[in-house]
Amino acid sequence: MSGELAYLGLAEAAELIRTKKLSPVEYVTALLARIERYDAKYNAFIALTPERALKAARAAEAEITAGRWRGPFHGVPYALKDIIDVEGLATTAHSKILKGNIARRHAVVTERLEAAGGVLLGKLSTHEFAIGGPSFDLPWPPARNPWNRDHFCGGSSSGSGAGLAAGFFPAALGTDTGGSIRNPASMCGITGMKATYGRVSRRGVAPLAFSLDHIGPMTRTVRDNALMLQVIAGHDPGDPGSADEPVPDYGALLGQDVRGLRIGVIRHFYTRDVAGDPEQVEALDAAVQLLAGAGAETSEITLPALQDFSACGQIILAAEAYAVHEPWLRKRPEDYGARARERLLAGATLRAVDYLQAVRWRLQLRDRVARDFADIDLAITASSMDPACRIDDDEALATNYWRQARMPFNVTGQPGLVVPAGFTKSGLPLSLQLVGHPFGEAMLYRVAQFYEDATSWTKRHPPGLLD
Amino acid sequence: MTEELRDKVRTLGLDRLTEEHLAQFERGTTGMERHLQRLPRGMPAAQEPAHVYRAKGETP
Repeated sequence: MSGELAYLGLAEAAELIRTKKLSPVEYVTALLARIERYDAKYNAFIALTPERALKAARAAEAEITAGRWRGPFHGVPYALKDIIDVEGLATTAHSKILKGNIARRHAVVTERLEAAGGVLLGKLSTHEFAIGGPSFDLPWPPARNPWNRDHFCGGSSSGSGAGLAAGFFPAALGTDTGGSIRNPASMCGITGMKATYGRVSRRGVAPLAFSLDHIGPMTRTVRDNALMLQVIAGHDPGDPGSADEPVPDYGALLGQDVRGLRIGVIRHFYTRDVAGDPEQVEALDAAVQLLAGAGAETSEITLPALQDFSACGQIILAAEAYAVHEPWLRKRPEDYGARARERLLAGATLRAVDYLQAVRWRLQLRDRVARDFADIDLAITASSMDPACRIDDDEALATNYWRQARMPFNVTGQPGLVVPAGFTKSGLPLSLQLVGHPFGEAMLYRVAQFYEDATSWTKRHPPGLLD
Repeated sequence: MTEELRDKVRTLGLDRLTEEHLAQFERGTTGMERHLQRLPRGMPAAQEPAHVYRAKGETP
């Protein structure tokens, strides 16, 4: 299989399929062969479902041949983080606790992707219950970084990030409670969107922390990401956190330049609150310069300290996650991996008043950020402070959870989009994060697309996987 | 591992934790202390928490 087909984007594939220049069956067959060939090295998949995929691809091909093209997702392969339900398949959350847990119905996002004609290839590795990883004491090994398999690929949506970078599929879903879409996007050099809280239904997805959980698209390019969000966004009355807001055309602003846009630079997150890796800081400064040079009005803005958002978010996350996991931690603590068990037990002694103070503080932080965003169209900041560390470096992995600027926007619920922003001298991806007003995803896509077009980062793929 | 810690986890109903798990419990809860120290105290009495709950019947 040619590297060109492996790294075909969703938008390009959709156009080739629509015009019958690419057969969904051939496309899916080729990707399955690539996964069979390479995934033993990267562990992106927990469960590959080739028979189901080929059946869906044949059905899509028959429909398209008969003139019933459903839209850009029709006949396009995708994969799901294994905390998202697919009727008839196990949702394991990468944990012994849920091994053999067969889903009785689709999650809402699965329903939407299936209705759009997508072809599911399988279920993807995650950190255990989207919180504990990378772990070597679970029934499945952790995903590896295709840019260098000795390095961490981020998490918790680790298989989604690794599989995209490896050219196994053009689109995947991840989930993000404290940064779990944007972290693997940063580590694997791909594009990940945590949309506004409530924009995408969480029904049928294993919860980590109810008030912080988000589901979102992960792709290699901005345009593909906008296409996937278009499919999954929308109100779900069965999800208590779902927002009853109209869904705009996420592609409407793609192709527009950035002249006159007011972009706030949250530089203190990665220079004062936490000292970012010099190569990462340099990449962020270069991106700001590029946007300013293209006519955007950039100015530094100051939010509360990163550590305030982290503390607020971590207290809420620990309390809500413990509420979910307490029965299993009491009865089957030995069935968790060490990393998940330690992080989940952190919530065991929190007092009700601490949780309530944190959710009261959360509104203060949200309102303060809203005031700081009043005079800007969007902001730019870091996602990760460092490139991917080695997967066997326990100390660096531990710091990975707080050397990041993603939790602030789980706390406020604003959208955050991570895109590639270059590479280290050793060839590992660097990244940046764009942050918008609530429900302002289309603006993020506009600026990210401009940046992607002005750079060549998304055209680079991991060495050793190009054939 | 202290008896005080064992008593604490028993009170929490976590009596199946092994010695290894108790060490993880201690590390996890100690780590949380760092975050708790940043919690602001003395917020205005009327400052409400964030909610997602809505009474049944309000959703379509």
